[in-house]
Order: sequence, then C-alpha cells, then structure tokens
Amino acid sequence: MEGPPVTRSTDSRQARYDLTRIPVAKALLVNRWPQFLIRALALSGFLFAIVAGLGGTPVGSRNFSIVFVWIAWWALLILVAVPLAGRGWCTVCPIPMPGEWLQNRALLGPSGKKPPFGLGRKWPKGLRNIWVQNGAFALMALFSAVVLTQPVVTAVILAALLLVATGSSMIFERRAFCRYLCPVGGFIGLYSQTAPIEVRVRDTAVCATHTTKSCYTGSEDGFGCPWGAFPGGLVKNTYCGACLECLRTCPLDNIAINIRPAGADLSQLRGRKLDEAFKAFIMLGSAFVYSAVMLGPWGQLKTAAYGIGSLPWLLYVLAFLVFVFGLLPGLFYVASRASRTLAPTRHTPRRIFVAYAYALVPLGLAAWIAFSLSFVFTNASYILPVLSDPLGWGWNLFGTAGYDWTPFFTQMLPVLQTLVLVVGLAWAGITARRIAQEGNHPAAWRQAIPINLFCLMVTIGFLWLFIG
Amino acid sequence: MNAQATVTSITSPAMRHRPRFVMALLALAIVFIPLPTGSGVPGSRDMHIAAAQYNFSPGIIRVDQGDQVTIELESMDVVHGLYLDGYDLEVTADPGQTTSLSFIADKSGTFRFRCSVTCGPLHPFMIGKLKVGNNTLLWRGMALAVLAAAVGLWKVRQ
Amino acid sequence: MVIHRLRAEWAARLLLIFLVSGLFVAIMAGRNTAQAVEVHAVMPESGGWMPGNLSAEVNVPLDLRLTSDDVMHGFAVGQQPWPAVAVVPGQFTDLSLIFDEPGIYTYYCTRWCGLNHWRMRGTIEVTGKASDQSSTGSTRQPLYLTLDLDIDASHEVDVQLERPPSAAHGEKLDFTIPSRILTREHYLEQTPFEFWMALRADPGTADLSDTELWDLVAFAWHSQATPDSLLLGQRLYDQNCAACHGDKGNGEGVMARPNLAQSDPDSFGRALLPPGDFTDAQKMLGASSALLQGKIVRGGMGTGMPYWGTIFTADEIQALVDYIWTFMFPLTAGE
Repeated sequence: MEGPPVTRSTDSRQARYDLTRIPVAKALLVNRWPQFLIRALALSGFLFAIVAGLGGTPVGSRNFSIVFVWIAWWALLILVAVPLAGRGWCTVCPIPMPGEWLQNRALLGPSGKKPPFGLGRKWPKGLRNIWVQNGAFALMALFSAVVLTQPVVTAVILAALLLVATGSSMIFERRAFCRYLCPVGGFIGLYSQTAPIEVRVRDTAVCATHTTKSCYTGSEDGFGCPWGAFPGGLVKNTYCGACLECLRTCPLDNIAINIRPAGADLSQLRGRKLDEAFKAFIMLGSAFVYSAVMLGPWGQLKTAAYGIGSLPWLLYVLAFLVFVFGLLPGLFYVASRASRTLAPTRHTPRRIFVAYAYALVPLGLAAWIAFSLSFVFTNASYILPVLSDPLGWGWNLFGTAGYDWTPFFTQMLPVLQTLVLVVGLAWAGITARRIAQEGNHPAAWRQAIPINLFCLMVTIGFLWLFIG
Repeated sequence: MNAQATVTSITSPAMRHRPRFVMALLALAIVFIPLPTGSGVPGSRDMHIAAAQYNFSPGIIRVDQGDQVTIELESMDVVHGLYLDGYDLEVTADPGQTTSLSFIADKSGTFRFRCSVTCGPLHPFMIGKLKVGNNTLLWRGMALAVLAAAVGLWKVRQ
Repeated sequence: MVIHRLRAEWAARLLLIFLVSGLFVAIMAGRNTAQAVEVHAVMPESGGWMPGNLSAEVNVPLDLRLTSDDVMHGFAVGQQPWPAVAVVPGQFTDLSLIFDEPGIYTYYCTRWCGLNHWRMRGTIEVTGKASDQSSTGSTRQPLYLTLDLDIDASHEVDVQLERPPSAAHGEKLDFTIPSRILTREHYLEQTPFEFWMALRADPGTADLSDTELWDLVAFAWHSQATPDSLLLGQRLYDQNCAACHGDKGNGEGVMARPNLAQSDPDSFGRALLPPGDFTDAQKMLGASSALLQGKIVRGGMGTGMPYWGTIFTADEIQALVDYIWTFMFPLTAGE
C-alpha cells in the first residue's frame, strides 16, 4: 500500500483525502474518550463561566466569563474552528451534553436496550428550519452591547442556553436544541459550508444495499445521528454536527472524514433555502452594525446600543432590524433581479435570490473574522491576568494577575483586516460566478456581475469601517 | 490544408494562464506602487481631545505627515486614558488634570486610539481615529477589492 | 465486553463528577475568609464605598482589601500621612492601617470618579485608649471661627482694575512695605482690599499709582507663600479642586461644564451654582485668607462645595490658600 487512497466523492469530480484511512486518526476519532474528555473540560469551563459571571467581579475585563467566552473562545471559534474545521466546535460543545447524557442514560456509548429518557417527541414540522435560530441570533444582537460587557448577563445567557438545551432533550428526540434552537449553531452551520473538511459516506451504493441504516437508527456501538440527518444523504455540512456517531455505528466502514477544497458546499445545487439565505444576511448585516457601533468613533451609537429600554436604544433596534432584514436583503434582491435580466434563466426570482445569497457566505465569514481580529488583538492581553484571577477576587494562581493591558499587533491589524476582506470578496465573486455557470449558457457568467458589485460595495463599506 | 501545419491552440498554457499573470501583476502593483503620503510642510498641531464615557470628542482628528502633534487629553467624568495604535503611545488623564502627549506623526495612515484605563463597561469600545496624511492603505485596499471582484468574473479558474 | 463498557461508563461519570465538583471546591476555597475587610468602591451614584463605615482599635492593624467594581478610584484617610493608593477595577489593593489615637477618621476617594466623586467618603471609628502624650498636631480652632467670620456673607468689593495685578511688577517696584502694615496676621486675616487701603493711606506710597499698589499687594501676598507650600498647594489643587474650579482657577472645570455623557447636573436632584471663580477681582479682593480657609474647611454654602475639614490638615489648607491666591495674583508679568 503506497498510502491512503484518494476517495472519490459522489457529488464532485474533485479529490477528497479521507482522514479515517490513517489508522491513528480513525482510532482517535472512534474512541469515545478523547471527545468525552474535551467535552467534560468544556462543560467545566462553561459552568465556571456561569459561576464567575454571577459571583465574580462586575468588571468585565477581569472576569472569566467575559474574557474567556467573548475573547478567548470567540477567537478560537471564528478564527480557527469555523474556517478550518467547520462544525469542529460542535464536536466538543458542552451545551447539549447534560441533556444528551440524561437522554441516553449514559456518558459513554449506548447503555443497552432501554429507550431514550424523556418524552422523545418529534420536532414540530413547521419549525424544521433555521428561522428560530435566525430570530435568536438577531435577538441576542440587539442586546449585544450589554451581553459582551456585563458578566452577569453573559452568565444568565449561558445558563439559559444550558437550561433550554437540557429541557429540549427531555421533551424532544435527539439534539433538537443543536439542530433548531442554538443561535451559535445557526451560523456555524451556514459557515461550515466553506470548511475544508466534511463528513460524508464513501460510496452511496453501499448504503443503498444496507437495510438497517444503523447510522440513523443507532446500534450497540453508537447512537443514531443526534442531528437527525441520514449520513448517506449528506451533501452539505450545514446540518451535520460532526459528532462522529456515524463513524462509530456504520458497520460497513463507509463513513469518511474528508479534507476537501474549501467552499465545496457552496456550489451544491441541492438544499438552497430562504431561511439559510436570510441567515447570511443576518450575519453580514450584524457584522456591519457591530463594526460601526463597537469599533467606530461614534460614542452616541454605543450609548444607544447599551441603554436598553431607552428611546435611543429603540431607535437603534429599529435601525438594526430595518438594515439587516430589509435594506440589505432588499438591495441584494435588486441585484439578483438584475442578474436575471443579464442571462436567460428558467428560475424564479426567488430561486435566483436564494441561490446567489450563498455567495455571501464567504464574504460574511471574512467580515466576521476581520471584525473579531480587531477586538481580539487589542484585548487578548486580558487573558493572562484572568487566568490567574478568574473571578477578580484577588487570586494569583499563575503569577500573571498583575499583567497590564497591552494591545497586540496594532500596526499589522489594518493590513490583516484588508487582506481578509479582499480574500473573502474574491471568494464570494468566484462563488457567484460558479453559481451563475450552473445556468449552462455561454453568457451565464454575466449574472454574477450585479452580485459581485453588491459584494464589492459591501466590502468597501467594511474597509471604510475598519481602516478608514 | 497542410496536415502538419501547427495551429496555435487558443487554449495553450501561456494564454490560459495569462489572466492569472495579469491579475497577479495588478495586485503587486496595487500593493507596492508608491503613493503620496500627504506630508505637507511639517508644522505643529495642538489638538484637544475630551474623553467622557464612552466617547472621545472630537472622535476623528487630522494632521499632516511629519507634523509635531501635541494631544491634550481632558477627562470629563472619570479617569480615562488614550492609547494610540501603530505608534504605541499612551497617556492617562484624571478629570481636572489635563495631560499631553507629544510626538512626531512620521507614519501616515489612519490610526485608532482607544481608552487605556477601565472606565466602565463599554471601555473596550471607546475608540477614536487619528488621520495622518493620506490613508494609502485604504486606497490600496479598495483597489484590491475591485480587483478581487473582477477575479470572480474573470476566467481565472476552469 | 459489556462489563468493559460499564467500567468505562463509571470511570467517565466519576471523572465528570470530579471535574465539576472540583471546580466548586476550588471556588469555595478561594473565597476571602481572611481577617481583612473587603471594601468595594463604586461611583457614588451607585453606592460609593461599600461598606461606608469601618471600625478599628487603637494600635491594632486594620487590614483592608480594596477593589473597584466600575472605574478607577483611589483611597486615602483624611489628615493622615499615609499616601493615597489606587483602587483599580477588578483588582485588589491590600492595605494595613494602624491608628495611634481613637476618634473618627474619614476615608475618601482620591481619583475623580464622576460628578459626585467628592461625596465618596466613609468613616473609620477607632476605639480604645488614647496614648499618654497629647496629640502632637495642634487642633486649634480655624481662624474663621476665631474671627467669627460669616463665610456665607457676600464679600464683594467694588474695584476696577486696569489689568490683573502682577507680583513680578510689584517686586520690581523695590518698595519696602512697612512691617506694621504687613505681618503674617495681616496676610491671614486681612482682605487684599483692606491691605491696599492701608498701603494707600501710608505716606510712603504717595507717588505710586493705584495699579502699582495692586502690584505691591500681589507681591506681598506672594511673598507670604513658600515654594514648598505652593508646590503642595498646586498638587492638592490639581487633584481635588481643578475638576470643578478649573486648572486656571476660573470656575470652568470639567465638572462645571455640561458633560458629554451626563444629562443632569446633579444626579441627587439638586441644582448647583457654578464653582467659585478665583480670578474674579470683585470677589477675591474682598476675601481674606481666613475666609478662604473657612470655605474650604466647612464647605456647604448651597454650592456643592464639599467640606474638607476632616480631609486636609491645617497646613494643607493653608498651602491651598497660598496657591489659590496665585490665580488672582499671577506670578508672571501681567499682560
């Protein structure tokens, strides 16, 4: 054997590199202990963040709940986990675990023949989309100025997420919270389409003859897909939570974890939906509003965003909602209508609108990365003192409690932000063109022009906000 | 008619890759082309910045490259500070005790300055801008953005 | 295989319980159970010093752990030689105080923390036996009480100055002021106007103009201050007074101007008069040092001016008065 064979995916001519062909990698992923250990640690950290937020100092910069959730964890998520591993965070996320452990009556692996604990109801048909997650994220965004700066509020939100996740595991089957409720999972799912990694089956023909479908129903080796997906039918990363159960249950060794070209999912014709399109607008729009309000020099905007209940805040809420749900999608709709006129197509305006919205996925990710770089670099230095004194009680566990605030890389920051945005724009443009060329017409690429113009305008807006 | 006549294929490697070379050249040009940085006759600028929760006033200040800049920081309510990105300079001011920061604006561009003393919950977002000369990075960034948008439309990849 | 699984399952459960409970044990263990008293500082609108009252015993160390829950504060005890310490948001400053004498001491915030910063005070009640020696610092009555001055009465005089009096010019006049006109008592108890009148009445000043006589007054007042007292006065003024009275002494400090972020001038609901203008000739030339000292010690007057009697020592207040006169009588040559 010269090395792991390259597996051909059924939906693309492009090469995939299957990690599970490496014996050590497969062993680590199939074994439940590594994942459990990370989950247990993450859960401890999560609970500690709740306690720190409730009982620690109200000064955010010296409290574990603010520094380790909104600076350290967020940096890890948006700068590393999502771009490089898609749903990688979901693999180890602690939020659903208490509920899932209760449901499964076990921490490690199936407990036997007992049915899952809880009511086990099916998720309501009308809510089998991400609109609830869209709303949850937008709601959090309206209170973000307070959430990001007050430890108590962060703690309450974390506790609420934990309670809702546990509660939904007791009422509904599988991971209803992750799939339909989690505000973070909503955008991780969307952006996981850009990831260079995926979980797919090696050969769909093998699945066709396998009647048990233990990847979906479960077996004594593992649980049926907690995300309610049929692994044999996965063509996009969006609703696969990378929990690795199917890797454990498939008796035919047909599950692969592929390294693949980034953004392969964006060209996927199937599964383009309006709720996902609006998720793209919500993310892009909120990145824009956050960049203006939090990173801009306009103090009145910040005070308005912080003063929950006041008239300026209500105006801010109105402006946010109009921009994110109205203006941005509205302008994009105009662009997509223009696209329709530039090359013949049999698709409806709505279908064109939804299809091209997927070009905004890499752009939105780039915008969030550029936005996050700013406050992560300037505030990362809080991590050291908070490690030594997580509650702001005067501890000094590692001797770093006296470390002063020091912004890092402030000279390089604008250059990095520019590069990230430009790369995101190029990627968005290429994606738009690929989507256009699904039209199978020599002039079909012209449809991408208004879309690229829209993306260019948005990028110039971000450039002005970050480095102007 | 001559079966052995060589026809230059329109998809010969050189022509297929030409757009890529053009794009790459343009990108390099945009990044490295010298641009005027906005240095006039170096003068002296005295600027007064009032700091209050959570606002610098004025929030945007402009100088020419090479100017001797003196920033007077006056805190209006609690102890604030000012840290200047890129120049790595810092000054703190108590209300009633205006302090100054003096430096030569030798680097051109737009630099953010931030509050450097915890002054309340929104302290990490208390930000202002110092514009020194021309913001050539913004121009280059916008030009690169136009190029990037064109990249999407060009047949750069099959 | 099932037993293997069961063992692994219980190991996992134990590990989880260990991790989670270990966390809580660590937090409980880390709580402050030391003897030290934890004092939290917040802006006065939200509570000020918490607690605002402490008790201690003579010669028994009072251990304090100071922290701020919002902005930068400072801590000092009035009329005591201990230097002020910073009270930093989210960090703790440890302090150990030992009191020689019983009594009520005032601790106060030393870094401006908003419009009501000056209200941020607390008391330490120290009980126990006084030491055998009587207190070294004299607790003589402030001069304004001895003189029975009404510090709330108007002290305006109708004087028209051509230009601000200049101590430098006064010095150049090279005029020896008779010692019966200028003594320390005169400086402390007389108003500059009364002193000017005495100068005018003196035959030796016949060929000096009114303006030149004001320069002499300025020089006389200046000569009563020492460089050390002026330095001390300036430091105290900058830290405590400039925010309201302005660094130029004209009553236009940042706290007196409409603030960018605050809409009400006084969140305690009362309207305030503007802080005193030390460059206002009508008011200053009719004020004696004793009067100024009285206003500093007692405050009040319905103006928002705090009382400093428990905060500054008599020497510190005199230094402040010496410095305040330099606003009316600047040292540089008059314009």
